[in-house]
Amino acid sequence: MSGIGKVAANSRIRRSPVRFLCLLAVLLLATFFLAIFIGAKGPIGSDDIDEMRYSELFDAILDKDSERLSYSTTAIVWAFRIPRVLLAGLVGASLACAGTAMQAVFRNPMADPFIIGVSSGAAIGASSAGLIGLTVVVGSFTKPMLAFACAIVTVFFVYRMGTIRGKVQVETLLLSGVAVAAFLGAIVSFLMYSAGQQFHELLLWLLGSFAEPRWSYVWMMLFPALAGVIIIFLYGRELNALLLGEETAHNLGANPETLKKLMLAVAAFVTAGAVAFTGIIGFVGLIVPHMMRILVGADHRVLVPAATLFGASFLIWADSIARTILPGEELPVGVITAMCGGPFFLYLLRRSRTGSVIS
Amino acid sequence: MDRMLAKKEFTVWITLTVVVSSVIAFTGGYMVGATTSGEDEGILLVDDYGRTIKLDKIPERIVSTAPTPTEILFAVGAGDLVVGVDEYSDYPAEVLNITKVGSYTLSTEVIISLQPDLIVSSDLVPIAQLELLEDNGIPFVVLATRSLDDVTKDIRLVGILTGHVEEANALADSLEARIEAVTEKTQAEGVVKPRVYLEYYPYWTYGPGSFGNDLIALAGGINIAENTTSEYPMVSSELVIAQDPEIIIYTIGYMTTTTAEEISLRPGWGEITAVAEGNILSMDDNLISRYGPRIVDGLEELAALLHPDLFS
Repeated sequence: MSGIGKVAANSRIRRSPVRFLCLLAVLLLATFFLAIFIGAKGPIGSDDIDEMRYSELFDAILDKDSERLSYSTTAIVWAFRIPRVLLAGLVGASLACAGTAMQAVFRNPMADPFIIGVSSGAAIGASSAGLIGLTVVVGSFTKPMLAFACAIVTVFFVYRMGTIRGKVQVETLLLSGVAVAAFLGAIVSFLMYSAGQQFHELLLWLLGSFAEPRWSYVWMMLFPALAGVIIIFLYGRELNALLLGEETAHNLGANPETLKKLMLAVAAFVTAGAVAFTGIIGFVGLIVPHMMRILVGADHRVLVPAATLFGASFLIWADSIARTILPGEELPVGVITAMCGGPFFLYLLRRSRTGSVIS
Repeated sequence: MDRMLAKKEFTVWITLTVVVSSVIAFTGGYMVGATTSGEDEGILLVDDYGRTIKLDKIPERIVSTAPTPTEILFAVGAGDLVVGVDEYSDYPAEVLNITKVGSYTLSTEVIISLQPDLIVSSDLVPIAQLELLEDNGIPFVVLATRSLDDVTKDIRLVGILTGHVEEANALADSLEARIEAVTEKTQAEGVVKPRVYLEYYPYWTYGPGSFGNDLIALAGGINIAENTTSEYPMVSSELVIAQDPEIIIYTIGYMTTTTAEEISLRPGWGEITAVAEGNILSMDDNLISRYGPRIVDGLEELAALLHPDLFS
């Protein structure tokens, strides 16, 4: 089970982790700017005849109120593409970072950010918001709010189930999470069955999508996500100790109980914030930490920032594919993350000399 | 180690404070920003979601995001204003050459670049996407057609919206007259109402609150699924056999996978009256599932199938 602590990393990367992190940061920056050029109206990823030109896009990025450009060009860039790319990056970073923390806390390679019920709780919130018509009456803002609230309540319930005499029992917590997710999943299925006209709206949310990028979402996510990532990063050393076992961690001066609780709370909070706005995007939080672990090893002082940076790039790329692969239509981004990430991960897994990420 | 941990805890509290205050600030800003509105003269109307829409002038470029609004727009003579339609709109034939703007997920970039001054949508499209476009200066109207009365009401509404009031009213009046002509016969005293099973996909049918359920009633039939719990329920063979429909109708559309033969060969269905008497009929799905003017064609066809003697 604790195989995630003993992975033979790529030795060249391991010798100079800072350089590798810089590389990932540069990759993220390049991804961010490139992705702004990708979309249904081009210049990249379009077969439209009257697509936007590179020069127009540059102008629009540099000058939001440029008078030489048509209104639609600046609107596409500033109201849709930039917030969308930022949102994808934030969600990818949040999920990958939270996933890394969860895998360390549970000392289980199958752990992901959704393991303690965040996704199923959020799904209940989002689907009931749609069904009782609140989105129509109160405004579309109700859905993320309700999803977030239900996710936090569910996590708290699972946490209480997994805590015995004030101590977090990792195995019990894991099983409670699985059971609660199965139970809530059944309710969501029933809600979908009886959703009628709202069926597609629910389905899109459950598959995850960035089709509603809003600047308000970006601003509301930015600080919680940054804070969560920073906190998890600060406790990298303690997470390393925790991987060696709770006894060892204690002897090394870290209080495993406090640490586990803090990490669970931060990861749950960050994940709930991510899924509330964009729906359940699977795979990123599970696979990106493993990908990075194969490359940089299990030292969380390097692994956490690496997973965070790569998670952001990965999801921006996945979303860029999702919004251009079918002309004039959008695929749910969750479809792409699994389709591209799965084979790539298997490739890394077989190539890593030990092949023992889940030994 | 203790001092280091204390320092970290301090950092954690600082970041949390920053986070909570920033989220509150941004949420507050959003709530305030959403309530502003302008005051101009022009078209003022309330759509099917109860939203008040104000337009400065009659729109010149309209995007329709579902087949029902597309068909209504064309039927009232405003087809030349339509510059974009969803993937599923395919009627009337002119629609096929119009730019496609996505379906349940809209291609916002294509819509923005079409520079429409109005979006006409249905309740099938997630409203948040429409609100995002509205924030960028493109207003939208939602047609949530749930009954035959809504159809004619929405036709009149689209008439006002597009400046085709007379055509729209004339169309709505004639549709109402045709509906009346059908129901006069089917709801007359002494008409025997057959039990009907209307299937749009194997074992999936129309339940209470759905359009199909209303159509069967108006066409003078009894829907065997009228007491189920959901709008579009999946029924069991047992229910169908127990309710023993006298007429089975399956719709022919892009989802069709069945035939009259397949239905008659379903296990246990041989004893059903409709099967035994060879009353397995079919209808064009578009006449039942699109809530524009063609729905009245659907009602007339359905009534003729249920009561061939009344409509010969």
